[in-house]
Amino acid sequence: MTTDINRRNLLAAAGLGMGALALAACGGPSTAAPAATASATDWSKVKPASKITFMSSHPGKSADIEAALIKDFQAANPGIEVELVTGGANYEEVAQKFQTSQAGNNVPDVVVASDVWWFRYAIAGTVVPLEALLSAVDDKSAGFNKTLYDDYNYGESHWAVPYARSTPLFYYNKDHFAAAGVPDRAPATWDEFASWAPKIQAANAGKPGYLHAYQYPALAGYAGWTLQNVLWGQGAGWSNKWDMTANSDASVKAMQWVADTIVKDGWAGVSSKDAVADMTAGAISSTISSTGDLVGTLKAASTSGMNIGVGFLPGGAVSASPVCPTGGAGLVIATKTSPERQLAAAKFISFVTNAQSTAKFSAATGYMPVRTDADMTPVLSATPQIQVALDQLKVTRSQDYGRVFLPGADLEMANAAAKIMNEKADVKATLDTLQGKLEEIYTKTVKPKLKS
Amino acid sequence: MTGMDKSIPLGRTKRHASARARREAWVFLALALPNIVLIAFFTYRPLLLNMYYSTLDWTLGSMDAVVVGLGNYVEFFTSGDAEEVLSITAIFTVATVGGALVLGLLVALVLNKKVPGATLARSAVFAPYVLSGVGVGLVWLFIFDPVYGALSWVLRGIGLASPQWINDPNLALVMLIIVYVWKNLGYCAVVYLAGLQSLPKDVMEAASLDGAGAFRRFWLVSFPLLSPTTFFLLITSLLSSLQAFDIIKIMTPTGNGTGTLIFEAYLQAFGAYNRAGYSAAISVVLFVVLLAMTGMQLRFVERKVHYS
Repeated sequence: MTTDINRRNLLAAAGLGMGALALAACGGPSTAAPAATASATDWSKVKPASKITFMSSHPGKSADIEAALIKDFQAANPGIEVELVTGGANYEEVAQKFQTSQAGNNVPDVVVASDVWWFRYAIAGTVVPLEALLSAVDDKSAGFNKTLYDDYNYGESHWAVPYARSTPLFYYNKDHFAAAGVPDRAPATWDEFASWAPKIQAANAGKPGYLHAYQYPALAGYAGWTLQNVLWGQGAGWSNKWDMTANSDASVKAMQWVADTIVKDGWAGVSSKDAVADMTAGAISSTISSTGDLVGTLKAASTSGMNIGVGFLPGGAVSASPVCPTGGAGLVIATKTSPERQLAAAKFISFVTNAQSTAKFSAATGYMPVRTDADMTPVLSATPQIQVALDQLKVTRSQDYGRVFLPGADLEMANAAAKIMNEKADVKATLDTLQGKLEEIYTKTVKPKLKS
Repeated sequence: MTGMDKSIPLGRTKRHASARARREAWVFLALALPNIVLIAFFTYRPLLLNMYYSTLDWTLGSMDAVVVGLGNYVEFFTSGDAEEVLSITAIFTVATVGGALVLGLLVALVLNKKVPGATLARSAVFAPYVLSGVGVGLVWLFIFDPVYGALSWVLRGIGLASPQWINDPNLALVMLIIVYVWKNLGYCAVVYLAGLQSLPKDVMEAASLDGAGAFRRFWLVSFPLLSPTTFFLLITSLLSSLQAFDIIKIMTPTGNGTGTLIFEAYLQAFGAYNRAGYSAAISVVLFVVLLAMTGMQLRFVERKVHYS
């Protein structure tokens, strides 16, 4: 029996084909109940893979030192080749690539994960807990700086190792401070700086392109992090564990003080892009930025004949210390690879964070050494300002859950800060809105996935 | 021969015809099938897949998701997101399309004059349209930077402070509109110029003889005759503006005040939130908006167009 192929038949066939394609298309995430956890791997029977990939954004302009550390690793482990992949210009771009790679079968083995990303990977199951893997490569993890290592602790496991870890530092232009006759040091408290700022502003206002005595860092990516310093100093915070406190009386008071420094007092501004670049351009007298910017900033300043000083973050009226948040990035190992690749990845992350490697990385970038037994003597002789960051590390505080554990919270905080600091919006109303958004994110996105 | 033709039985003629139709259908399939498969796989499959994802509560990167039906759409339209995103999209689209069309027409009127250097001027006006959006975004970002940007340097020279183009959400949207209009007006100008040069000369001469001045000739004769050109530009510019992405991403990467439909879809999935299902729902809304606008233009706007 034969059937004529006419337009109707052809359209019907095409329709069926499309339907089949549509059904075939439904192959994304599984909507079935999660499968039981796989049994633990016996790492003693696993042979490391011969090649792995390391995806990085090269934080603190670290592409060269990362390549050098890979070379050292390959020399120490001749059977393992590491391919360095640039995942983007910042942590967010790396996160985007890592997450989209989960849809395919070409997932990078080791990935740089910032303070706001590792937890998301952990609850999404895209990275593995590291205790067993580190033991398998004979890394006791005892040498890690405890504060920095424990930042990655969730559900009785560590999900990353500290790598490019930083704290914010107070950067100031020594020449501008001298011109104003204020002490050549970072202020001990924000109240003290508020008494200096009008003098600094007045003494330098005549310089070409001069803007402010103090510049708040660019809000995207920095507001949620660095404003914790002001909030904590006034006894406030974005959250207290899982209770959001963005609109508490203390938080409103702290953010009102921030708004006043810009609008009422007029000695502070907000950077559009890069506050440190604003400072090395001579437009501002002081700012807060990451220790990861330290070496680059000092180099840029020395090229332009500028004297830059660094100091601890100022304290507040309620709390003088600890008011400095930890930050920066760690290294995670992807779940969606093979045990062989994971073992090779563990060898790699153990190597690039060991005492020698972390000292080299710190010297090249200004990031914190992540092992307590790192010999920093040569580093400090070349860049003595790193000592300030090392000393401040002893009085740091882990960040508010509300900032680092809620997806999108950092952006919501930046948007709220923009409304308060740039649009002169009502502080209480803006923080009420932020509070609602943070609670919604927690309730919808995080709470259902938390391990009891 | 005629007698022989008449002697061929009807059934045989039908069989010949159907055999030929079958052959032609197979030839058609052989030629068209590769393209049909490619379009189905790379255009319609993602479209259907996206519609399916829009019914899920799915975090990007996660292997698991929960079916929420129309929950993402309900949330979008009831949370206030829709009001904000759709108003930003409307302002951006109207301003960029309107700006590029009006300025493009004015530039075309100037370029239509026989003046020395007109060819060079036409090339210069058209050049931004073919430049890479990423490059354009980076250069304009430097121009608008309030601390060390070229514009702030000029403003400082006349004693003015630079506006906070990047930090202030309202100004950020204005900044983007300026850049998009600058980039696209050359395209509108060149298309309008072609339209102006094809207008019938006799009609213009008759209007002149009747005593119509330059403005009346333009408004009552040239502009209505340009309506097919305007219609074409309106459709292409609207679709292009609704899909604008590269410059927005470069100049305002976190979308503070610049979250158009397409950019909000990107931010929700690939930005800070990783809400792939919610992002897919916004993409479907964008698809429906594009479909509706195209339908409305074809249904209503085309009626007003005068073809010469």
